[in-house]
Amino acid sequence: MRQFFPVEDLARDDRFVQTNMAERMADTRTAVDLKKTAKSRGASNRLTPDRHDASDAARSLMHGIMVGEIQALEGAGRTAHDFDAGDGSEGTIPFELKLDMARQAWDEARHVEISAKLSDWMGTEIGQFQENTVLFEAACSNDPVLRLAGVNRALEGLAIDVFTQMKEFGQLAGDPFLEFCEDWMLADEVTHVKMGSDWLRRVTENDPDRRAKALEFQQVVDKLFSFGGARGESEESPIGLARRFRELAGFTDDEVDTIAGMDHDALEERKAAVRLAQETAGV
Amino acid sequence: MTTHVTVAPERFTLVAYDADQIAEIVRELAAQLGLSNPMAVEVDEKTPLSKMSAVVDGTSSDDTITLRLQSGALEDTKHLTNFSEDHARRSLGRVMLRARDRLRPDFADAPDDLALTNAQNAAWDAYCAGRLERLGLNPVQQRYRYDFRNRFGFSDEIDTVFDQLWAADDLGWHDLPTLP
Repeated sequence: MRQFFPVEDLARDDRFVQTNMAERMADTRTAVDLKKTAKSRGASNRLTPDRHDASDAARSLMHGIMVGEIQALEGAGRTAHDFDAGDGSEGTIPFELKLDMARQAWDEARHVEISAKLSDWMGTEIGQFQENTVLFEAACSNDPVLRLAGVNRALEGLAIDVFTQMKEFGQLAGDPFLEFCEDWMLADEVTHVKMGSDWLRRVTENDPDRRAKALEFQQVVDKLFSFGGARGESEESPIGLARRFRELAGFTDDEVDTIAGMDHDALEERKAAVRLAQETAGV
Repeated sequence: MTTHVTVAPERFTLVAYDADQIAEIVRELAAQLGLSNPMAVEVDEKTPLSKMSAVVDGTSSDDTITLRLQSGALEDTKHLTNFSEDHARRSLGRVMLRARDRLRPDFADAPDDLALTNAQNAAWDAYCAGRLERLGLNPVQQRYRYDFRNRFGFSDEIDTVFDQLWAADDLGWHDLPTLP
């Protein structure tokens, strides 16, 4: 079977339309109040049921979760398959790591099914929204340690934030299925991040340069996964940073602070870019 | 008679929308809904959100109806910043039905669209979407049912109220359900 699969070759039927971060960021509209600064107070953009567009926003996010789960399944499956079993050096991974990736793929497959059923419950059709392939792109590195950093820590870390937000949404709205399903999936995601944190530490135990490179890659991916500040601790961000669950998953306070700082920077950079684009367009 | 329709902006820069196409859809819907009032459509292309409102100057057929839409209400969600005719028909149909309701004396007490509570919005939307389905515009019922449950609760009793609302054709403002 073929190894090292490029993002362009992901198998999708004709219901799906794919996009990437460059296209996504080329959209110069914004739901954020450009006059507000990070320190000013005002209406929150948090995805909660009291937002006037709560259901629409939740549907869009749930679809994003579903395609994210498909890509996480593909990423974990590729990592289990792409590398030979060995001691972790020279393009090999420990056999036990392969088993963990296989277990994760099994979890993600279940999450895809759950998310598809939740989308149906919320009134969304599969493929109704475009699919951003940035998540799988983080799983295309030739170094398995970078995949652990990009997928298990950055992507699955984002999943912790998103599931926490959606679980709270279900709780506040009184939606029993949404709250229950998100809670179960959240538990799996915490495990996936913990697996990534533990394996990254073990495989790079005697290779500090490789570990540093992996953590640097994780920061790049984390900033991308902020989606221009859509995730962050500012009330302007629809999705919060789930500090408690990230801590359970093995993130240190310093690491979460770093992510929070990058989210803040991403939000301000996005606002500046949109402001400039809208001024240039004269609107 | 052809309804007079204006669309602002006349030329879009942040989204690939065509003002003439929007005007044509509004004219067709107006004919379908029996609305002859002049229509002013204002699209806010700076935001991808999809809030809509209708302002009716009076209750006669000469009074202008102003439809305000954020760009997301007309968008192809598979190809962002592109126009979706189907989505536009459903959004414009819904907000135009609201405007038509407002021309009735028994909707005189309805607050302005932007002053409606989330629950009032969900109830009125369900009432409008049910009628759009019977006009052949194919709104997704489950979507409106989920919105309604989010505002009124997740129970069989609430679903029954939703079903009645969806099937209704001749309600006044005070017939729409409210939160206890």
